[in-house]
Amino acid sequence: MPLPQNLQEIIDMIASMSREEKLETLIAYAETLPDLPERFKTQRDQMESVPECMTPVFIIAEKDEHGGIQFYLDIPPQSPTVRGLASILLNGLNGCAFEEIVSVPIDFYHPMNLQEAVSQQRITGFTGVLSHMKQAAAKAQQA
Amino acid sequence: MSYAHPEYLVDTEWVAAHLQDANVRIVESDEDPLLYAIGHIPGAVHVDWFSVLQHPLRRDFLTKEKFEELVSALGIANDTTVVFYGDKSNWFAAYALWLFQYYGHQNVKIMNGGRTKWEQEKRPFVKETPSYAKTAYRAKEADKSIRAFRDDVFKQLDAKKPLVDVRSPKEYSGELTHMANYPQEGSTRGGHIPTAVSIPWSQAVNEADATFKSPEELRALYEGKNIKADGEVIAYCRIGERSSVTWFVLKYLLGYPNVKNYDGSWTEWGNLVDAPIEK
Repeated sequence: MPLPQNLQEIIDMIASMSREEKLETLIAYAETLPDLPERFKTQRDQMESVPECMTPVFIIAEKDEHGGIQFYLDIPPQSPTVRGLASILLNGLNGCAFEEIVSVPIDFYHPMNLQEAVSQQRITGFTGVLSHMKQAAAKAQQA
Repeated sequence: MSYAHPEYLVDTEWVAAHLQDANVRIVESDEDPLLYAIGHIPGAVHVDWFSVLQHPLRRDFLTKEKFEELVSALGIANDTTVVFYGDKSNWFAAYALWLFQYYGHQNVKIMNGGRTKWEQEKRPFVKETPSYAKTAYRAKEADKSIRAFRDDVFKQLDAKKPLVDVRSPKEYSGELTHMANYPQEGSTRGGHIPTAVSIPWSQAVNEADATFKSPEELRALYEGKNIKADGEVIAYCRIGERSSVTWFVLKYLLGYPNVKNYDGSWTEWGNLVDAPIEK
């Protein structure tokens, strides 16, 4: 299955960038990550947490009226890199069908060549966020 | 009781009072490489451990010549007081400080509490990147007395001298390498170096404001695990960043004369053929 169109477009855009542009883009994504809606704030213990990240990351998903999956993330502002990477996934996957989301391969990020901008640990956290988004999507699909 | 070398530590108030001091350079070094761009202490310069402090090809630090270029460009002279601060309880601030000492910069300090405390006190963060007149910095030859290589660790083992593993308990026990979703896990074996005692680095700092614990608490923590001042101590973690904090604590806050940071750490030892491992 091909990658969801939005995610593919983001990957292509970042792949063509210089290191400096990649960092600026990550900051822009970090700064535009929406706050967790109020209605989820009391449910943090039911959200998927991502132990692979050294930053506390919480993820929740629900089905929208079109049958697609909508994600909501809670990541502290003190961790802009994790926020930026997770925001890429949020923008790339929001509204996609469950099958599209779970089909995203774990090495999807390779073409972006992010290792020239951030360390391997950050990228490891990135794949952790993806797999927990898949689990959150599975819960939303079953709900 | 006070810290053994209190001159290596300054508080946020001291930094706030020295922002315009031409003999002082404030250096931010973070685990998260984007934090500096989001906002930093006015006048502070940035050192990114990952893209700047590492050798571009080999697994090593930047060369002495590259270090001189870097430090000159930051407007740091040989007699400048360099104050490091950063996120995550000064993890990478300690790492950068250790590397500055490795290349012979003597006048270094850590801002106690780092970004966390500065932020808690609602002190200002700015986005403007300052620029300072270039200096002609001359580094010294690398000081290997503060850096352990794998052969030093083998000798340490043979001599039955102390090793401190500062990773989390699950990394120490070897459990963590079996966690899911680590597609490019850095070590093929889990566990720890035989005889190493587990003292997670974070036990040396107060969770509330990221400052270091009191001298009494620190002494009880390390001496309680039989890590004492009389002898060589080698600290390690995964890549040598968290153990820089422990190195700083043992060397400057407790005054242990002979402490080394093993920067190869678990990502080297856990991949090293024929190296002994305990679980």
